[in-house]
Amino acid sequence: MAEQEFPCALTVNVPFPTARLASIALQALGVDKELSPLVRRTLSAVAPADTQENNILRVKYVATTNRMLRVAVNGFMESLNLVLEVMEKLDEDVLTAGRKQNGG
Amino acid sequence: MPDKHNRRLALGCEGSANKLGVGVIAHDPVTGAATVLSNIRDTFVSPPGTGFLPKDTARHHRACFVRVALAALAAAGVTPKEIDCICFTKGPGMGAPLTSVAIAARTLSLLWGGKPLVGVNHCVGHIEMGRAVTGAENPVVLYVSGGNTQVIAYAEQRYRIFGETLDIAVGNCLDRFARTLRISNDPAPGYNIEQLAKKGGGILLDLPYAVKGMDCSFSGILAKADEWAAQMFGTTGRKAGEGGEKFGPEDLCFSLQETVFAMLVEITERAMAHVGSSQVLIVGGVGSNERLQEMMGLMARDRGGSVYATDERFCIDNGIMIAHAGLLAYETGFRTPLEESTCTQRFRTDEVFVKWRN
Repeated sequence: MAEQEFPCALTVNVPFPTARLASIALQALGVDKELSPLVRRTLSAVAPADTQENNILRVKYVATTNRMLRVAVNGFMESLNLVLEVMEKLDEDVLTAGRKQNGG
Repeated sequence: MPDKHNRRLALGCEGSANKLGVGVIAHDPVTGAATVLSNIRDTFVSPPGTGFLPKDTARHHRACFVRVALAALAAAGVTPKEIDCICFTKGPGMGAPLTSVAIAARTLSLLWGGKPLVGVNHCVGHIEMGRAVTGAENPVVLYVSGGNTQVIAYAEQRYRIFGETLDIAVGNCLDRFARTLRISNDPAPGYNIEQLAKKGGGILLDLPYAVKGMDCSFSGILAKADEWAAQMFGTTGRKAGEGGEKFGPEDLCFSLQETVFAMLVEITERAMAHVGSSQVLIVGGVGSNERLQEMMGLMARDRGGSVYATDERFCIDNGIMIAHAGLLAYETGFRTPLEESTCTQRFRTDEVFVKWRN
């Protein structure tokens, strides 16, 4: 992709507690394509410098204008927030812990 | 993995319009009988005079998903291990709200060890849930909601559309008229129109009657009803009630309901005559309107048949219908691979191959 066409860029690194959760976020969010032809996105899971575990979700956005970039990144953040909340409250170990706490 | 009673379980997630619903259904593997284990819903209600916009509705669904899903699991008393598949609404509906719920469904599927996903057609969800709840075996289906108006009959593995709206849905016509009158959207604009209409009945205002063969049209009726309302509010410069009796919102609601429901009864009757069926099943949010059920019942009785309708738990969008229709498809081997688990705003009822029926 020509850099002149997509001059506005932003990379967001989202650290996850484990590579499993980073991979789940990557898969859940990677399915829906960017709707606008004025924005391009690449998602990957990468490892921090000192480890082998790919527990960082890296999203790179490039866009034709800063406005398009802002809209796309905001949309991504809203979806990411939902994924994080589902992970926090509905993962199997959390549900099991919740049942034990309630004496179930 | 089947649950402790050896049943198959599905979690269903719905969010194609302003209702977010999550439910758990169980199917008996021998009899196929469906049991509702939970059916939780949270509705995004916009202020009077306004409709629900995609962006705000999606925000509502994202904000409520975890709470609604937790409540559905708790009410059903099941653990993720017992659930066989996760069903979500693929379409038709509003893009942003659909996608929000699909993202959550995917995350659950992946978190719970790669549970199979099943993308469900919203209309087929309504039809299958209606059949399961009422026991209607092979009815002509009238599907009436805020986004859809279709007369449907089953033939050879498809739900075939016999007639439909040519412009806006009947529920959209009612919802928008509620906005014109600036009445509350809580619990639903159609419900409040129905309550007002019960107080009317003295005057039937003239509205266009727009049946075109098997199809119908509602936008012109809405325009005329809006004109009557403007006259009533005195904003058109003419005196309210000019050339006739004075009328109020209750007369407008009564007249609108009588006109549009008569149209729906007519196209439904024509479809019944066409396929030789005496059963009518009404599904979709407008299907909870008791006046529509009554009018349809009168027609069906004249034909020696009967009308099957459900209450608001199943008529109005819900997660359990997605779980039920999804589980039916799952049992025939249908799966939606993760990379295909996108949503689509347009997804016609007859695009679905109905493998689970004869």
